[in-house]
Amino acid sequence: MSAADFLNLFIAAVLLAGVYAAMSVGMTIIYGVMKIVNLAHAGFLMLGAYFVFEAYDRFKIDPLLGALLAFPVFFFIGMGVHWLLVRRIATSDQPTLTSLLLLFGVWLVLQNLGYLIWGNSDRAILTPRTLSSLEIGPISFPTVRLAVFVVAVASLVGLEFVLHKTWFGRSVRALMQNKEAGQIVGVNVSRTAQIAFGVGIAFAGAAGGLLAMLYSFNPDFGASFQLRAFVIIVLGGLESFGGVAVGSLILALAETFVILILPASYQPAIAFSLLVVALIVLPEGIAGLWAKRRRWA
Amino acid sequence: MGVTDGGNAGGSPVPPFVSVVVPLLLLTSLTAVPLVGPGPNIIRLLFVTLTLVTASVGWNLIGGFAGQISFGFAVFYGLGAYTTALSINGGIPPVIAFSLGAVVAAVASLLIGLPTFRLKGPYFAIATIGVSEAVRVVMMNVPFTGGASGYRIIDKTRFVQSHHYYTALALAALAVGISILVRRSKLGLALIAIREDQDAASDLGVNPFIAKLIVHALAAALAAAAGGVYARYSLFIDPDGVFAFRNGVAILLMPIIGGVGTIWGPVIGAFVYGLIHEEVVANFPQAHLLIFGSLLILIILFEPGGVVGLFQKFMRSIRARSSVGAHS
Amino acid sequence: MAPILKLTNLTRYFAGLAAVKDVSFEIEPGGLVGLIGPNGAGKTTLLSLVAGSLKPTSGKIEFEGRNLAGAKSFQAVRAGVARTHQIPKPFRTMTVYENVEVGLRFGRHEKAAGTTKKAGEFLDMVGIAPLARRPAFLLSVGDLKRLELARALAARPTLLLCDEICSGLTETESGLILRLLCDIRSAGTTILYVEHNLRAIMSVCDPVIVMNYGQKLAEGPPTTVQNDPSVIEAYIGKKAMI
Repeated sequence: MSAADFLNLFIAAVLLAGVYAAMSVGMTIIYGVMKIVNLAHAGFLMLGAYFVFEAYDRFKIDPLLGALLAFPVFFFIGMGVHWLLVRRIATSDQPTLTSLLLLFGVWLVLQNLGYLIWGNSDRAILTPRTLSSLEIGPISFPTVRLAVFVVAVASLVGLEFVLHKTWFGRSVRALMQNKEAGQIVGVNVSRTAQIAFGVGIAFAGAAGGLLAMLYSFNPDFGASFQLRAFVIIVLGGLESFGGVAVGSLILALAETFVILILPASYQPAIAFSLLVVALIVLPEGIAGLWAKRRRWA
Repeated sequence: MGVTDGGNAGGSPVPPFVSVVVPLLLLTSLTAVPLVGPGPNIIRLLFVTLTLVTASVGWNLIGGFAGQISFGFAVFYGLGAYTTALSINGGIPPVIAFSLGAVVAAVASLLIGLPTFRLKGPYFAIATIGVSEAVRVVMMNVPFTGGASGYRIIDKTRFVQSHHYYTALALAALAVGISILVRRSKLGLALIAIREDQDAASDLGVNPFIAKLIVHALAAALAAAAGGVYARYSLFIDPDGVFAFRNGVAILLMPIIGGVGTIWGPVIGAFVYGLIHEEVVANFPQAHLLIFGSLLILIILFEPGGVVGLFQKFMRSIRARSSVGAHS
Repeated sequence: MAPILKLTNLTRYFAGLAAVKDVSFEIEPGGLVGLIGPNGAGKTTLLSLVAGSLKPTSGKIEFEGRNLAGAKSFQAVRAGVARTHQIPKPFRTMTVYENVEVGLRFGRHEKAAGTTKKAGEFLDMVGIAPLARRPAFLLSVGDLKRLELARALAARPTLLLCDEICSGLTETESGLILRLLCDIRSAGTTILYVEHNLRAIMSVCDPVIVMNYGQKLAEGPPTTVQNDPSVIEAYIGKKAMI
């Protein structure tokens, strides 16, 4: 394999990692603030995909714009789901099975809604961008992947900004570190939780839209990406944003380069296996490893 | 979870006489069903429901008593189905074939449990999702068992529907019996302690790892037997059918509907699920997930104890009302 | 006589911070040893290390001559060590009776213990027998603490680790529990008693060990320890000495 080929694969992995990170960060926020494992994440990924699709199909809105629009739309949907369902269950410092099952039920419902509205045939979003690519020397970037990567990274940067410069961001970071201390200091837990849930779902919807530009989709679409999101946040450490970036990169690299060894039909198994291995070998994720290193120092 | 325990906490509101007579009546009437000639469709429905009872009661051993929520029981159901299918085609008598399936699943449960039981609640649940799907993908690609196109059983014996029915009934009765025995045993005490507070249980001498592994193997064996019995009836199985994630979901949903952690909850839940499933698939095939998802949401939000929980509340309110009446 | 418990340089780190650092002491069989110290001194961590709920980072834990360091808590129970928890951890949906049964049936083996008490007797000992059929989640804090004790005792330990068993109890209740501890000790069980209530400790325990910042500050009979300047400083602060 030539250096150019390797570089192409590597770049493809990095571009993919960007989207993966945007896809996973929603779960991290929700988990960090509320200790809830959002199994409905897949459903919102799927809805986001169809949202962007419909926006493009009916209203000729550029999918990139559609994905950006998904942020506010799904933010409100998320807050709504929280208000309707999530706020009614007890949460604690440890993730509860009640929340797990509740959101699992939500996922089942969303999946079915997808089937009812759009049927189970595959859709795809095809724009002129899909087939073109940018050439720089021997490296070629498929334009759509590049565009998606840019939007993903921009949104992550935006999130970093929100986390560090706004009252909401500060509340989130406080609650993620220590819920009780946050309450004592005056953080409005329920409001922060509701907004955090909204933000998490917003990222799910937008990421779903971005992914829809890269892959064909049907109502089952979210499931395999949800599993990837699990792998990423487990690898990265459930509550660490930096960990999400690292985890995304690892998974993207693994998936991209493993095609050289295994046939494509085994590819879904990569994510599953990595997940199980990660859960067992690295229960605290890479962030946990990092924290341990500091301890020995 | 707000689990209502069918055990002795606070005293069961059901008089012991009832809790023996009702199940006996149920068993007798189920035994009598084929004899009154209700038609093959009803028998088929009851047959499927009875296999579901076995799987549901099995799951409840680990998910209800021990509180380890596994989304991955399709693995054991599927392993039972395939092992049975392969055995029957190899000339092995059915009962031994079912048992082989149970053994295979029990071994698999140890392999799965050893690494994953170290994980706490939701992480364990997520890991089971991963395992379930990984096994399905592998089975889709393994040519020896037919891969994605499935596997056919060549059953040389004549098809007598009532044989299959009674097999399923016997298995379900056995499952319930095992469930009662476990619940009343030292193992049952350990499991509930583990469910309530694993660390406190360990601090009192309970070895949580062994207890979980043992009950996981039992549960897997029952789910596998159910899969085997089903496979022998339907004569054709495929990975997307038996190893499907939604099977694992169904197996989990049934005890929750009926009352997770109780003895009869899984049985009730299996009947409810079996009947609804049949109705839904017949009339609203598209709304399957919607109905069960909404049901799950409603149960979690309003009555985590399921049907049994509702019943216990009802009994308690009757008692309260009658004692109030006596004082006025 | 050989000590029933011997800790040597016991240390436990949490992410760079030493919760317990180089703690060493011995407990004679039949002792009722008190362990005191300000909040955050590491007392509960120390108990958890001995009980097997936590693994030490380094150091030795010798119980009846055997090395317990690294043993899991159920293994420690089999060996004869049982603990209560500072914040009660009842099995909520089980009845009080069933809670004690867990300790009874999984604790140290009956033959080794040489007794065949029933669960009800342990409930009697701590005074919650009338609550036997009540589900644990309905109990008050005081009753939960007593349940903790009954449960731990049902495991027939030779070394009982008590973690703030009197906090949340009234004066009368505390007095009863303290008398009970003395009775248990007289019957042959060694007790290591962590407590925040200084008067309680000083009244029944000998010797008393003081910890602060994860380290052992002082050790000795109550009166000696009470007047140790470093102990006073730890509790009240340097300024008060001036």
